[in-house]
Amino acid sequence: MSTTSYFLKEADFESFLEGLIKTAAVYAPVAKKNWFVFSPISSPKEVRLDYDLTILPPKKAIFPVRQELVAFGPAGATSSIKPEPRILFGVHFYDIKAIDMLDLLFRENNVDWNYLAQRENTIIVGSNIQKVSKRAFWATVGKGVKPHGHDAFITKLPNGYVFEVLTPKGEKLLASGKFKPATDAQVAEAKKVNEEILEKCPEKLSHGSHEIAAKVRAAFKSKLWDELSRTCFSCGTCNIVCPTCYCFDVQDNWNLDQVSGQRARAWDGCLLEDFAKVSLGAGACENFREHRGQRYRHRLMRKAAYLNDKLGGPACVGCGRCSAQCVPDIADPVRIIETIMES
Amino acid sequence: MSTEAQSGSAPHPNIFLPRPAEVVRAKQVTATEKHFTLKMKDGQPMTFEPGQMLEISVFGFGEIPIGYASSPTRAQTFDIVVRKVGRVSSAITALEQGQTLYVRGPLGHGFPLDKLRGHDILIVAGGIGLCPTRSLINYILDRRSEFKKFTLFFGVKTPQEQLFLEDLAAWRKSKDVEYHETVDRADESWKGNVGVITTLFKKVSVDPGTRVIICGPPVMYKFVIAELDGIGVSRNNIYVDLERRMKCGIGKCGHCQINDKYVCLDGPVFCFKEIESLEEAFR
Repeated sequence: MSTTSYFLKEADFESFLEGLIKTAAVYAPVAKKNWFVFSPISSPKEVRLDYDLTILPPKKAIFPVRQELVAFGPAGATSSIKPEPRILFGVHFYDIKAIDMLDLLFRENNVDWNYLAQRENTIIVGSNIQKVSKRAFWATVGKGVKPHGHDAFITKLPNGYVFEVLTPKGEKLLASGKFKPATDAQVAEAKKVNEEILEKCPEKLSHGSHEIAAKVRAAFKSKLWDELSRTCFSCGTCNIVCPTCYCFDVQDNWNLDQVSGQRARAWDGCLLEDFAKVSLGAGACENFREHRGQRYRHRLMRKAAYLNDKLGGPACVGCGRCSAQCVPDIADPVRIIETIMES
Repeated sequence: MSTEAQSGSAPHPNIFLPRPAEVVRAKQVTATEKHFTLKMKDGQPMTFEPGQMLEISVFGFGEIPIGYASSPTRAQTFDIVVRKVGRVSSAITALEQGQTLYVRGPLGHGFPLDKLRGHDILIVAGGIGLCPTRSLINYILDRRSEFKKFTLFFGVKTPQEQLFLEDLAAWRKSKDVEYHETVDRADESWKGNVGVITTLFKKVSVDPGTRVIICGPPVMYKFVIAELDGIGVSRNNIYVDLERRMKCGIGKCGHCQINDKYVCLDGPVFCFKEIESLEEAFR
């Protein structure tokens, strides 16, 4: 019998979630027509652990699309860091890996508590992948990087759930449900479920991270970037849906009183045309990644090569969101990387 | 905050929270540039190295990155020069003496003083590239004995775009710096050299062991570096001060990246050798 794994009967699942909702704001996958999104929930009936993929990654519960940084008024400015207790429930392993990368990136060099304060107040419960999205390639990307940083992991079995406790924060959740220690057989079955799903991943990279990073870097001056990006709209969708993208813009906004307001950041994307543009005055400007091929290349470099030393692997977790959402369907990292590897 | 009280953690310092600085002097120096002298309102000295930068803002309009235009060797105040270009810089250049500017800094890495001391120095400044380099120029002048021969080139498009006129007058007469200036297009008032900044190389002899600092519009770099190559200056001894779009200044927002380097963290001053092969560095 495992000391860290517990079993929750199917019939007790809803009361567990009800218990969690009483302790913190719970963000979980819910259905929106034929899509899924991570959303704050008010009832356990909303939760859909059988989701395949959410439109936006769950990072938004920690690094929101728009976030107030500083409030200002006639008397000066005050910090807007106000974390609240949150539980991020039902996160697939690839999104756990992505959040772990953001933890490192917001902590390194200059600690950004605008992210980390909410992160430290967030308990993450992972869940097994029950349905596989069409463009996923999580089984073959960054295999050396293991999911880390979550507090518990829940795996669906036919008659209930195995709940693996990984941290003291995760252990606290046990108080909200009718858990029993899991049997060795249940633990083994959960392990099997999580291993077997890897075999069902539809898209595959045929090379390892080091090999890919080296070849992608070496292809910097290749004509492929221009060729592959010929139909790019520079819309930035691939950035916005990416769980490891964390670039942002900062803007000031006035309140209606016209004397107070907020300085806020909002997600930004390196595929957008003016991302690296500076004004020189007299209407002149300089754009350091003027052509879409350059911007398209920059994204792939960031995902496959530039951050690898820091992260121990690529800054891509294989969720397939960019592949699925790109209108001209040119953002799929598998296709780009395979094309480069074969060139 | 209640959640902090619950978790018992200390308040979280907010790296985006700027500090107020008082404008102690504001002077319009060209049609578009305004020179500010600032003093921190909290009474703390602004501690920085020549070549570092800061984020400056007027609330309700936004923030922009800017280099220090004064030397840390001088006074309890610091200088910046802002060109009126867009929404934020228009709001900043509207400020007058006694008003408040918000600042975050110092940010980034400045000029490598340890690698410059004991050597001949050449600074090549184009247009408002003189602003961040002025922090080093005055530093060298204040600690003149630490450096050998000191040469300064300054080029602008027209005489009206010259900045720091009092400084220029002093440098023209100074024995501590060999100062040369040029304009691309002269007018009747101009008696000096006419031509792009590289025409000044004919007027001096530059030792190949010279440490060179370049700051100016992006187009200027390759021509200056071609001259230096001709002289035989090692690219390891050339330093460039780069400008980029920046939103955070702390290595997060992504805007200033040149390939895998962050200008705000790894720069804005770079050894040319380090970045010469990066396609996005100079265009």
